[in-house]
Amino acid sequence: MGATSDAETICPTGKTISSEPQGPLPATAAKISVRHLNFFYSRRQVLYDIGLDIPEKKITALIGPSGCGKSTFLRTLNRMFETVPYTRVEGEVKLDGEDIFGMSVVDLRRRVGMVFQKSNPFPKSIFDNVAFGARVNGLKNRDKLREVVETSLRRAALWDEVKDSLRKSAYSLSGGQQQRLCIARALAVDPEVILLDEPCSALDPIATAKIEDLLFDLVGSCTIIIVTHNMQQAARVADQTGFFLLGRLIEFDKTEVMFKNPSRKETEDYISGRFG
Amino acid sequence: MGTAAAPLPRIRAASHHRLRRTILDFLGWGMSAIAFLLLGGAMVWILAVVVMRGYHALSLTVITHVTEGYGGGLLNAIEGTLILAFGGLILSAPLGLAAGIYLAEFDRGRLAPVIRFLADVLVGVPSIVIGYFCYVTLVERLGWKFSVAAGSVALAIISLPYICRTSEMALRQVPRALREGAYALGARDSRVVLGICVPTALPGILTGVLLALAISVGETAPLIYTADWSNYLWTGHLTKEPIGYLTYAIWAFITEPFASAHALAYAAAFFVTLFVLLISIASRMVLVERPGWRRPWTR
Ligand SMILES: Nc1ncnc2c1ncn2[C@@H]1O[C@H](COP(=O)(O)OP(=O)(O)OP(=O)(O)O)[C@@H](O)[C@H]1O
Ligand SMILES: [Mg+2]
Repeated sequence: MGATSDAETICPTGKTISSEPQGPLPATAAKISVRHLNFFYSRRQVLYDIGLDIPEKKITALIGPSGCGKSTFLRTLNRMFETVPYTRVEGEVKLDGEDIFGMSVVDLRRRVGMVFQKSNPFPKSIFDNVAFGARVNGLKNRDKLREVVETSLRRAALWDEVKDSLRKSAYSLSGGQQQRLCIARALAVDPEVILLDEPCSALDPIATAKIEDLLFDLVGSCTIIIVTHNMQQAARVADQTGFFLLGRLIEFDKTEVMFKNPSRKETEDYISGRFG
Repeated sequence: MGTAAAPLPRIRAASHHRLRRTILDFLGWGMSAIAFLLLGGAMVWILAVVVMRGYHALSLTVITHVTEGYGGGLLNAIEGTLILAFGGLILSAPLGLAAGIYLAEFDRGRLAPVIRFLADVLVGVPSIVIGYFCYVTLVERLGWKFSVAAGSVALAIISLPYICRTSEMALRQVPRALREGAYALGARDSRVVLGICVPTALPGILTGVLLALAISVGETAPLIYTADWSNYLWTGHLTKEPIGYLTYAIWAFITEPFASAHALAYAAAFFVTLFVLLISIASRMVLVERPGWRRPWTR
């Protein structure tokens, strides 16, 4: 198909990339390990033989030009792609060594939370937005609920700004606050992994800095995977960085290595802004 | 003059455009005004006729007394209309909403196109046919009498497709991002639908329910065969005793050769119109959004 031949002409080295994890294995254990992952929208393949290990309690950034499959990859990790009917996936994804495709999808998504590019608070109050996450987990007790809402909002660095207006609509918040509200909502489920798909793309530098600080606070307790178009952001926050190009994982290594001394020419070209 | 001559044509072109725009504006406004006058005029006319003719009968007696022959009041009919309309709603709203949820959320089910088709057909079935169907099945076969239950079922069948399709439409308007957000938290289908989609779509769903209520209040044909008529207040029997309703009073009394009967018919018309008007106002208010709660996707 068109996409395949494009990929081969633009990325002739693709075939030499093995599906074994790129770069040295991280010191900590792999929280998520992916092997030989292929992904299809109908018949069109958009991910090719991805293999990598996501280190536990670290920040992993995924970078690459638009349309290279970063979001698709992220959406396989919590099986969100299943909400689109004509998708198909091949290969292996393990969470703590357990096959995610064998798990109950509800349990998987409670363990692997997600924050979307466009903030999507529910048309409810600030409190109810966060409480929804906790209620999903079966929490009913009012006091407990209030406690979880408060801790989640604190962890998302939003508590001080909203503590007096918890009953107000979530839409009364600014864009950056709404995005942090969505993070708080995800945290209320108490996930082990958080997937963030370009969470700062609609935010100004100050709001972006707040979210980056927040990531550093969270990474002590969670594994974080963040897709970003912002090279500086990846360089600032990530321990590991993966570079995607045309559906392939070109390079995956420690962030310093990726940015200072990448082993592949495509990575160097992309990072230095020569294409993409 | 010599230096000013150069830009002159452009100015003239611009004023040409302005003239055309003014004419188009004028035409547009004019047509809107005519449309408004036609609709508003018809509305005011109907209300005026109903109020002026019903005026003589509009005394306290109308709402405090039941019908006696061709005189008396309409308390029995007002009560009956409300009971029948709400009775129909109690049956049709849960079923219609459930069907709407099925159509909007579980479209991949094989039954969805069938239900959608049946709902559309049902809208087109004349209401008197539905009334007759209920007469044959409920009154004749099941042995119910003309009654609240039979009338309510007939009205429920008429309301069902409206509630079903408006619920479906309203649920389809709920943005995908909200559903995804809920699923990504690990919520089950039931919680996503009942906790996020239905509350978000509630104004639209309620509009459909109120539309069905207004239709029920205004229906006559399906009730003639199922509720019949009664001069007395309802005693609480569901399937045994007939019940009065306003549209019957309009339909039956207007052809009687008595002034008192005519007055009652117009008074009944006044109340039906009033109820429908109130329901319409209520459905507009449902759609008014609370300030600060504006949904971002309507921006
Ligand atoms: N729902 C879909 N149906 C069909 N094709 C899709 C769908 N979503 C994405 N694709 C295709 O899959 C490929 C990868 O898309 P994806 O959204 O994963 O890219 P991305 O790297 O996240 O891009 P961006 O940086 O622009 O967000 C693209 O070519 C896109 O056209
Ligand atoms: Mg994307």
